[in-house]
Amino acid sequence: MRGAPIYIAGMGIISALGYGVVETAKALKEARCYLRPITLFALSADSPLAVGEVELETDPAHPLPRTHYLAHIAADQALADKSLVPDAIVVGTTTGGILTTEALLEKSVAAPHCYRYHGVGSVAEELARRYGCSGPLITVSTACSSGAVALLLAMQMLRRGKARRVLAGGVDSLCRLTYFGFNSLQLIDPIGARPLDRERRGLSLAEGAALLLLTTEPPAEGALQLLGAGLSCDAHHATAPLADGQGARAAMQAALADAGLDPAAIDYINLHGTGTPDNDLAEVRAIQALFGDRPPPLSSVKGAMGHTLGAAGAVEAVVAAIAIDQGIVPANVGFSSIDPVLNLAPVTAPSRAPITTVLSNSFGFGGNNAAVVIGTRRGQNYKPSAELPRPPLTVTAAACLTGAGHTSETWESFCAGRQCCGCLDDRVVTEGLPPRTVRRLKRLPKLSLALASNACRTVPAGRIPVAVSLGTAWGALSETHDFLQRLFETRQQFPSPTDFIGSVHNAPAGQIAMLLSAKGANVTTSGGDASFEQALLAAELLTCPGNDPILLLGVDEAQPVLAPLFDGSVRAAEALADGGGALVLEYGSSHGGPTVALLEYLFGSAPDSIASLVERLGGAEGVAHDYGAILAGLPAYYATQAAEQLAGFLSKSHFCGPVIDYRHIIGQFGAASAVAAVLAVQMVKWGLVPASLSGGSDMPLNGKGILVLGLGTYLSAMRIAPQ
Amino acid sequence: MNMEELIETLKIKIIEILNLPDVTPADIPVDSDLMSSDLDIDSIDVLELVIMLRKDYGVNIKNKEMAKEVFASLRSLAAYILETSQGFVH
Repeated sequence: MRGAPIYIAGMGIISALGYGVVETAKALKEARCYLRPITLFALSADSPLAVGEVELETDPAHPLPRTHYLAHIAADQALADKSLVPDAIVVGTTTGGILTTEALLEKSVAAPHCYRYHGVGSVAEELARRYGCSGPLITVSTACSSGAVALLLAMQMLRRGKARRVLAGGVDSLCRLTYFGFNSLQLIDPIGARPLDRERRGLSLAEGAALLLLTTEPPAEGALQLLGAGLSCDAHHATAPLADGQGARAAMQAALADAGLDPAAIDYINLHGTGTPDNDLAEVRAIQALFGDRPPPLSSVKGAMGHTLGAAGAVEAVVAAIAIDQGIVPANVGFSSIDPVLNLAPVTAPSRAPITTVLSNSFGFGGNNAAVVIGTRRGQNYKPSAELPRPPLTVTAAACLTGAGHTSETWESFCAGRQCCGCLDDRVVTEGLPPRTVRRLKRLPKLSLALASNACRTVPAGRIPVAVSLGTAWGALSETHDFLQRLFETRQQFPSPTDFIGSVHNAPAGQIAMLLSAKGANVTTSGGDASFEQALLAAELLTCPGNDPILLLGVDEAQPVLAPLFDGSVRAAEALADGGGALVLEYGSSHGGPTVALLEYLFGSAPDSIASLVERLGGAEGVAHDYGAILAGLPAYYATQAAEQLAGFLSKSHFCGPVIDYRHIIGQFGAASAVAAVLAVQMVKWGLVPASLSGGSDMPLNGKGILVLGLGTYLSAMRIAPQ
Repeated sequence: MNMEELIETLKIKIIEILNLPDVTPADIPVDSDLMSSDLDIDSIDVLELVIMLRKDYGVNIKNKEMAKEVFASLRSLAAYILETSQGFVH
């Protein structure tokens, strides 16, 4: 329904403030500090830091990690009206099952099934199973802006008619990685976070979850709306924000413009306000630039509940909704004296005020900025043009990387019918990249920068991507492994700050933003074998005709210890393989390059999913008409299921052209489908399927496209077609 | 270990820990600010060195202000180590 408002039909929240909206509202009115010394895991030496820990009774026999538990609790509240089943789920999280994984790794547990909930994408998968949702699922992992970015993507899905009800929000549990990581960065205030205060020394870590049921179907009267959202990237530094707040301001401005509102319409600003000297300075500078000397009442709730990281954007969207619903401005707990440098005083005691519109900020590592607007009415300037149907994205440039080499070596191998599986030597990967740029980087960011740099090599200066959407099945495994190993070996004494920064899922995309000076939206998705497909979906949702180009990537690294432990398909393969693919995309047909579109993307294996996929592609006739070849992704771990799915597809579609098992050629890793997409683009440009793969001679495509099928737990169909 | 020996040891550690490509010990300035040298050392590198100081010399640098003072130059860093950690520097 074009132009329909995005309603909040249900909300769930859990944090140190309590369970549910009622307890949270009560705690916000009491306005005290809920931080206390951490009890979640044993500390070997230093005294425990104050954190926002949730009082959570978990069943030790139950395998679900704490993050998943928190998500269940919040989601059950949001879906209290059981008649409203979500048809899509978007979760922002940075931790996934890491708390459980840490404990297992410390004890050297080698049984892979114990790690099956490690991936950040497994949170959304668990929710999908719980509520019978077949997707699409998206997992966003953009550090501390994850929850807000999830809300934005959900809103775009609804606006574009890709779903009617989306369960969206964020969740993170406390864990050793973030506890010792933030501490190694000296970003923790030893006496608890004091946002905006003159003496502030850092943040306090916390955990929690918030999930919102967003819908275009008008619910009960008085339901609040997600009015708009905006993203930006500093493209400046891995952790430190731009001191003048330019990036933060761009995100706030984009959110206001998206909602069709002027700054004057905002009644309350819910600050990101972590309490670190740098964040608060940048945020206040941004607010002063946008709102002038007299901004609306503002406060950070992180002095009361701590910083829930990937959950924060969603947790604070719920806080914003409570503020409007109850007519209360939450207090900035922890503030006592004004910082003359900031020259801005937050609300220090909860006060009653009629509030209709709230701006809530969330900023993260990688210069990743997000802002959302919650309220009762969109502004007059709202432009429904963002919702118009659009042509598929055009590929203006592409690059890939496999064990065979960079793009041309991979293509040659592929055409010659040789396997490309393997791990390209690090030195070859980084050829052409500035040595000082890569000196602190490990495998995944190196692969990512190589792909970004190679893909953009032929792009004219004015068309360099401004936005980035990167999918990775497991994130930066080398940094995660090395950080935890050193943490355990040194009995928690000497964890590496560099490894911590690098372990964040969106670190590679942040590095790309710096390399390209890409200051637009910067999103990292992670959902196992469908991570690249999720990034493509996000790219489609983030761009509009007339927008700047976006760089889409899928990339994964074969860290020898963790990759086989987490990924059953890596385990089942004969040898480790990694790499990825990158596409520069934009709307508009002037370039003439091939187009790419995600036609189907489902989770789970509903019995009729193959039939409905064939139907979606126009039945047997449509498949024969549109496609000259199929690149099929059969993850080794799901070999039987995937083979059945493929056989079902071929029998229902009567497709008789070449069907290429691309993981056999490229290797068993999550981002293999990104390489497949790049190879499909090459074939479409060339107009031929190479002889070695068509079973005879080079086979002309005759203007047809290529279908890239993803099989296994996710079912996806990408169309790569001539213009 | 005397001051000059410690400075040479620190240079080697800095190159190794920060993985500085194409940098030799001679390239590292002794009496000027490391962070404003042309080595491209930033705040994350300083934090990495803070961990090294704790691990190798038992020297604790608790915050940014202290780091700024101690890391004013390689000589000031060495002086601080000698002053606070006699037991560790052999």
